[in-house]
Amino acid sequence: MTKEDCYELGRITRVHGLKGELQLLFEVDDPFEYEELDSVLIEQKGQLIPFFVEQLNIQPNRIIAKFEEVDSIDKAQTLVGSKLWLTLDNLPDLDKGQFYYHDVVGYQVVDKTLGPLGTVREFASFSHQDILVMDYQGKEVLIPVINEMIGEADHDQQLLHVSLPEGLLDIYLSESSKDDGDEEEEHA
Amino acid sequence: MARSLKKGPYIDFRLSNKVEVMNEAGKKSVIKTWSRRSMISPDFVGHTFAVHNGNKFIPVYVTENMVGHKLGEFAPTRNFRGHVAKKDKGKR
Repeated sequence: MTKEDCYELGRITRVHGLKGELQLLFEVDDPFEYEELDSVLIEQKGQLIPFFVEQLNIQPNRIIAKFEEVDSIDKAQTLVGSKLWLTLDNLPDLDKGQFYYHDVVGYQVVDKTLGPLGTVREFASFSHQDILVMDYQGKEVLIPVINEMIGEADHDQQLLHVSLPEGLLDIYLSESSKDDGDEEEEHA
Repeated sequence: MARSLKKGPYIDFRLSNKVEVMNEAGKKSVIKTWSRRSMISPDFVGHTFAVHNGNKFIPVYVTENMVGHKLGEFAPTRNFRGHVAKKDKGKR
């Protein structure tokens, strides 16, 4: 089993209690979709090792799991920090027009008014919203991932339709000089 | 210590002027700012701000639940990490 056939579910953040329970962080849109999870792949030294889930308690603010054969705090401690993976067939199906971030990496970004732009390099997750990172004319352009700006993906032609607000491209294409009247901030 | 209520929230006057002008004109251009300490007022909702994090501008689309926070809270200065790994994350 390689990482190519899997997706990253999250990671183990810390131990919980003394009996081998672990606190997990799922980096997914909806953690409650994984309530019936029976096994997971844990990355250890670059290898994906399957672990059976004995108990899984998903709460809005934390996830507590107990894996088979992990019965002590010492064994649990060795897993802390490891990434969790699942095979791609575990990915929930999407409706028409929806896409996963990893599906559109490398797609060409097409703006409604400006036409073809650069390509999608990656996505960055911030606490409040996700950001699409686009390579365009040798520069890095950041686009907030919100319904108003990110449209549909055309998987046949590998295009991602967007509707950029006025002035967003100019910020990244021009030199980052303080030329718009906010200069007083530096001296305040 | 919290800011005195008597003073009201701090918002850079140039920034609030720009938002006011845009609201009157009904425009939604991106507003570039270094003023991380400015509080997000209800007038800012629906606008996109490019907030400087000391290195680059981070676009912040303001929603209702950001009101009362500072702009800088949404443009992290340290942990800007992108990911290309396959994840159960996407547009829903």
